[in-house]
Amino acid sequence: MIRRQSLLVWTASTALVLAAHPAAAHEQVGVAGGLVSGFMHPLTGLDHLVAMVAVGIWGAQLGAPAIWILPITFPLVMALGGVLGVLHIPLPMPEVAIALSALVLGAAVAARLRVPFAIAAVIVAVFAIFHGYAHGLELPNSANPLAYGVGFVVATGLLHLCGILLGTLNRWNAGERAIQAMGAAIAAVGCYFLALSFGVNI
Amino acid sequence: MKRWIALFGFAFASLAASAEAAQAHIVSVRLGDFYSGALHPLTDLQDAILWVALGLLAGAVGSTERRWLVMIFPVGLLVGLAWGAPIGPALTGPLATAATIVVLGLLLAANFRIPAILLWLIAFGIAVARGAANASDLTPDTNLLLFAAGLACAGYVLITLTMAITLAFRQTDAEPSVAWRVVAVRTLGGWLAAIGIMAAGVQIFAPQLS
Repeated sequence: MIRRQSLLVWTASTALVLAAHPAAAHEQVGVAGGLVSGFMHPLTGLDHLVAMVAVGIWGAQLGAPAIWILPITFPLVMALGGVLGVLHIPLPMPEVAIALSALVLGAAVAARLRVPFAIAAVIVAVFAIFHGYAHGLELPNSANPLAYGVGFVVATGLLHLCGILLGTLNRWNAGERAIQAMGAAIAAVGCYFLALSFGVNI
Repeated sequence: MKRWIALFGFAFASLAASAEAAQAHIVSVRLGDFYSGALHPLTDLQDAILWVALGLLAGAVGSTERRWLVMIFPVGLLVGLAWGAPIGPALTGPLATAATIVVLGLLLAANFRIPAILLWLIAFGIAVARGAANASDLTPDTNLLLFAAGLACAGYVLITLTMAITLAFRQTDAEPSVAWRVVAVRTLGGWLAAIGIMAAGVQIFAPQLS
């Protein structure tokens, strides 16, 4: 009898606690949504994700100054592309360019391509414009633009960091081979998205 | 024993039933306005980014005289609050805030050894502007003294902590083994500038979105 009463009381207590009102903190409109959607955008798009990791790996392979200049300048150029995207200024074939970025950067990693820093910077900058464009284009109307910018810049930077950390494996022969295999896999993902962007169903 | 459990459960249920909705800003109790002043800037993304950016920059240049910033910044907040309290509207808008984030981020990314006097002027300007912005939500019931004390304390704590963490993290530029730490702080500058560019672009070309 007492056990049944206890059960009833505990059930009632739990129901009351669950029904409590949430605290109304001092939140700006669309900040939380903007942060989450901006942060998730580069992570949930596989083409963005692999290309950003490839930028970090390639920077690590190229060594100084690319290893530190690319992560500093990439977000700056990407933000310019983000503004173009927010304004819906048409860029030629953005999906193709993003797929190409994964293909080219993955191939560069797989082949351990060594080019002068200026050329590497131009290649990465062109792709950064298109990645930023895609992020800006998909800015939700309800999101706070500042929060959205914080989200996608931080996520992109963390993906670069992942790439740089993976790139440090090239100190060992086996690690170097593993990195080249990753590059090949990234290039394959790029090929897949390139085919999709041309309407080929795989 | 079971009776005690039942009694405890009943007491818990009574307490839960008598609960009222939580109020984040506890303005109706003593010192509530202090906490309002302290928490108000921390719940505003513009304040949070600007203050952290300024602390990072000050910590990155890191010589002794830059540490005057821990005094200058809270005083600037108080001046801004005193300015903004009677007139209401903020001194600066989102575009100026975004442009300031870009400037601070680029200075940090370039590892520019900003002169101390210039850093003080920038910090004081930012503090006055943000102090005035924080005044925009004051109501006639707000205890201005407590609100100002909370705001100044928040500014002091955040700037001091950010500067100290940055100084400790960077260690020294001279040691090649810790060069990556300098690069990491500079990378944060690049991120900040990018965030500012994005926000400024939206403010200039598509203000309806903000």
